[in-house]
Amino acid sequence: MFLQINGIKKHFGEGESRVDVLKGIDLELEKGEICVLLGPSGSGKSTLLNIIGGIDDADSGYISINGEKTVDMNEKALTKYRRKHLGYIFQMYNLIPNLNIKENIEVGAYLSDNPLDVDDILKTLGLYEHRHKLPNQLSGGQQQRTAIGRAIVKNPDILLCDEPTGALDFNTSKDILKLIEDVNKKYGNTVIMVTHNDAIKNMADRVIKLRDGVIRKNYLNEEKISAVDLDW
Amino acid sequence: MKNPLNKRFIRELKSDLGKYVVLSIFIIAMIAIVSGFQVAGNSMIVAYDESFEKYNIEHGNFELLANADEALIEDIEKEGVTLYENFYLEEETTIDTTLRIFINREEVNKVCLMSGEFPSEADEIAIDRIHATKNNLDIGDTITIDNKELTISGLVALTDYSALYQNPTDTMFDTIKFGVAVMTEEGYNTLDHSHIHYSYSWKYDTEPADDIEAKEMSDEFLESLLQKTMLENYIPAYNNQAIQFTGNDMGRDKLIFGMFLYIVVAIIAFIFAITTSNTIAKEATVIGTLRASGYSKGELIRHYLAMPMLVTLLSAIIGNILGYTLMEDFAADMYYNSYSLTTYEILWNAKAFVNTTVIPLIIMFLINFFILLSKFKLSPLRFIRRDLSKKKKKKAFKLNTKIGIMKRFRLRVIFQNMPNYITIIIGVILANVIMIFGIAFPAILDNHSENLPKNMLCEYQYILKMPMPTENESAEAFTAYSLKTLETKGFTEDVSLFGVSPDSQYIDVNFDDDTVYISSAYAEKYDVAAGDTITLREEFEDKEYEFEVTGIYDYSIGIAVFMDRDVLNQAFEFDQDYYNGYFSNEEISDIDNEFIATVITKDDMDKVSRQLMDSMGSMMSVFFAIGIVMFMLIIFLLSKIVVEKNSQSISMIKILGYDNKEINGLYVATTAIVVIASLILTMPLVDRIMAVLLEFMFFMYSGWMEYYVPFENYALIAITGILAYGIIAFFQMKKVKQIPMEDALKNVE
Repeated sequence: MFLQINGIKKHFGEGESRVDVLKGIDLELEKGEICVLLGPSGSGKSTLLNIIGGIDDADSGYISINGEKTVDMNEKALTKYRRKHLGYIFQMYNLIPNLNIKENIEVGAYLSDNPLDVDDILKTLGLYEHRHKLPNQLSGGQQQRTAIGRAIVKNPDILLCDEPTGALDFNTSKDILKLIEDVNKKYGNTVIMVTHNDAIKNMADRVIKLRDGVIRKNYLNEEKISAVDLDW
Repeated sequence: MKNPLNKRFIRELKSDLGKYVVLSIFIIAMIAIVSGFQVAGNSMIVAYDESFEKYNIEHGNFELLANADEALIEDIEKEGVTLYENFYLEEETTIDTTLRIFINREEVNKVCLMSGEFPSEADEIAIDRIHATKNNLDIGDTITIDNKELTISGLVALTDYSALYQNPTDTMFDTIKFGVAVMTEEGYNTLDHSHIHYSYSWKYDTEPADDIEAKEMSDEFLESLLQKTMLENYIPAYNNQAIQFTGNDMGRDKLIFGMFLYIVVAIIAFIFAITTSNTIAKEATVIGTLRASGYSKGELIRHYLAMPMLVTLLSAIIGNILGYTLMEDFAADMYYNSYSLTTYEILWNAKAFVNTTVIPLIIMFLINFFILLSKFKLSPLRFIRRDLSKKKKKKAFKLNTKIGIMKRFRLRVIFQNMPNYITIIIGVILANVIMIFGIAFPAILDNHSENLPKNMLCEYQYILKMPMPTENESAEAFTAYSLKTLETKGFTEDVSLFGVSPDSQYIDVNFDDDTVYISSAYAEKYDVAAGDTITLREEFEDKEYEFEVTGIYDYSIGIAVFMDRDVLNQAFEFDQDYYNGYFSNEEISDIDNEFIATVITKDDMDKVSRQLMDSMGSMMSVFFAIGIVMFMLIIFLLSKIVVEKNSQSISMIKILGYDNKEINGLYVATTAIVVIASLILTMPLVDRIMAVLLEFMFFMYSGWMEYYVPFENYALIAITGILAYGIIAFFQMKKVKQIPMEDALKNVE
C-alpha cells in the first residue's frame, strides 16, 4: 500500500473547550489514486490533510508512505519528507507576492533533484505569457494555476489540495479540476483533495466522507467521470 | 463616547512590548543625556555668571617687582580703582605639580569651599578641587611643599581660576600639572618667600558696561600705571583665560549632543513609520471596513499616530526626569572634570524642555503624520482589496533568468523591503558615525601628539616682553603679533603673525615684501588657498588688515601667518629692527626670566590634546557604546519587520519543504548582505561625515587638529558591526524557525 493512515487522533483545546477533531482515522490509498475528502465544516478534513502533509502533529497514530512513518521523523526529516513526496495546493494560492509567476514555480523546482521543465509547465498551465507578472497582476484562476504549477513542478508523489476551487467561479473551478486530473494522469501522483463541494466526488477514484472526526463513508467510485463533465 | 479603537493601545503595547521598550529606552537615554547636559550646563553657566558678583571677581590683576608701599597704592587707587593684595607663591610639589598658593581671600576673588573646611591651622591647605582629583588627593591627605608637610583641610574653587591656566598666554589650561591653593596667613608666611609674586587685583569703582569699555578702561589704567611704577605683568579680566575660558567653552558640547538627539529621534520616527505601515498592511481589510463604516481618515490617522507620540512623550518625561537627576549629576561631573567651577543649584531650563521634549515630539509627529497621510490617501475599497500599492498595478521588473532562483529570490526580497533596507543603510551610517566618533576622537588627539615633534617650528619658541639679545647660536629673532579672525561660523580666534628673519633656518620660505604664507592648519580650517585674501582684525580696536596669501606653509598645529619681519614691523608700526621672540632648538639660558613672557615647547602644544582627552575621553567610550546599541537596535527592528512581513511566505515555503537553512538564506541572508555591504561601502561617506563633524567641532577650539583616522579604526568598526549583526541574525534565525506552517493556512483572506 502506497499511503497508509493508521489510527490518527487529534484534539484541540483542553478541559471544557476540548474538541476531538479526529477520533481515529484509518485509511489506505494506492499510488495514482484521486481521493476526495468530503465533509461539513469542522469535520476534520483539513486537519487530516495537514497531518498527512506533515505540517501538523497527530496525538496518536501514524502516516506511512512507502513504509516511511512520519511519526518517527524529527523536524529535519519531516522537511525532507515534504520536499521529497508532497505538493500542496491551497484555497488562497499562497504565492510568494514578490516573486513573478515563473519564479514562484521555480521555488518548487528548486526542491527537486529532477524537476519538470518549468517552461513546459507554464505552457501546460496557460501561463507562459504571464510568466513575468507578479501574482497580484493575475486573476484568481491564474494564481491557482501557478500554485498548481509550483506543486507539480517537483513531480511529487502526493498532491494535497485544500479546497483548491473554494475561491473560484464555476468555469475556473472546472478548469482547475481538469488540470489536476490531467496532472494525475500524466504524472501518476496520488491526489488527496479536501472540498465542501459534493459534486467534485464524481471525478474521484475514492471518496471519503468525514463527520465529527470519523470516516462515515469510504468507497471506490465506480462511476468516475471527467472533471470537464462535472456540474453543480 | 470615547473612540473604542483606543482600547487597542494597551493590547498593541503588550503584543509588541519588546519593540516599544527598546525604542523607548533609546529615546529615554538620548533625552536624558541631552537634558542632563543642558540642565547642568545651563545651571552652571548661570552660577558662573553670578559668581562674578557673588565672589567679587577682579577686573584685572597686575604684578609688581616688589611690595607696593601705601603711597603708591593710594596713588593708583586715585585712578578710580580699589586694589587688593593677592600675593602668591608658586611651589613645586613632590608629586611633580606646580601649586600657586594664596592667602585665603576674603574680599576679592573669594574662594568657594566645595568640601571639607578652609584651613585654620598653619599646616593646613585647601587646594583646588579638580587639581586634587586629577592627582588623587583628598581631604586629610598630606602634600609636601617647600619641605613642609601640609594637610589638605578642604577642596576649593578659586573663582579667578575656573580654568586652570598657569599663564594667560598658555594654549590650554592644565588641571593635572597646575593647581591653586589657599592657606592661612600664618601658614603662608611659613613658606619660603623668595619666589613671591606681588600680584594686585583691582576692581573699578564703576563697572565697565562691556568688553569694549573694559578694554578702554584697562588701556587707560595701564597707561597711568606705567607712569607710576614698573610692571611685571598686567592681565585685565576680560582678557584673562583663567576667568573667561570656562564661560566661553561651556555649552559647546550641548550643540553636538542636541544634534545627535534629533538624528536619533528622526531615525526612530522612521522605524515607527515603517512598523506602522506594516501594521496598516496587515490590517488593511479592517481599515477598509472601518473607513467604509464611516470612520474618517483623520480618526484613523490619529489612531495610528497615537502610539509613536505616546511612546515619545512618555520617553521624554522619563528622559527628562533622569536628565534632571542621574544624568545631571553625570553631566555636572563632566564639567567639573574640566573646570574648577563653584557650587550651583539646578535650575529649571525651559530651553532644555523645548529641545528635549517639544522638538522630538514635533519630529516624531511630522515624519509619522506625512507617511500616514500618504497611506490613507487610498480609497476604502483599495484597503478592503488589500491593494495598497500607490501605482495602479505594480509590475515585476525582469531579472536575468540565468541567475539562479535563490539569488533572484534574495534580490526580490531586497527590492520588496527597500524602505526597510534604506532605513537600515541610513541607520548603519549614523551608527557608524557615532561609533567612529568614539574612536576617531582619541585617534586624532593621539595623532596630534605623535606628530607634534615634526610639526613644531622649533624646540623652544620664546616670546619676550621686550627685545633682549642672546648669545645662543641656535636662537633666531622674530616678531610676533596677534590678531583675530573675523567671525566665521559664529567663532573668532587668535591668529599668530610671525615676522620671520631673512634666510630663516626655522621657516623654510624666501620672503620678499609681498610674500605672505599661512599655516596649513589655517588653510585647512578656514579653507583658504594661495591667491586668496584673508582679513584679520585687532581684538579691541576697530581696525582690519588684509593679506593676500602667496603660499601655504606646512604647519598643521597652529593658526599662523608668516611674513618678512621688516614687513610685519612696518605694518604694525614697530621699529625696523624690532623683535619680540626667538625660535630656538636649544634652551636659551642667558635671558632673565623676567623678560620672557612665555616659552612654548612641545609640552605646551600638547596641552590642548591632553586636556581634551582628559575632559572628553571618558565620553568617547559612551559614544562607541551608543553607536553599537543604535546599530543593533535599528537592524534588529527592521530585520524583524522583514521577517514578519514575509511570515506567510516563509510559512508556505516551509510547507513546500524548504529547510530553515534555506529559508534563512533567503530572508536573513538578504539583511546580512545589506548590512555588511552598507557597513563597508558607506565607510567613505562615514569618513566624510566624520571629517565634517569633527572639523566643525575643532573649529570651536583655538588652533587646529588634522583629521586623521587610521584604517584599523574603520576595520574595527566593520568587525564590530558584523559581530553585532551576528547576534541579531541569531535571533532572526530563531524567529524564522518559530514561524509555524499553520500561518500559511490561517492568515489567508
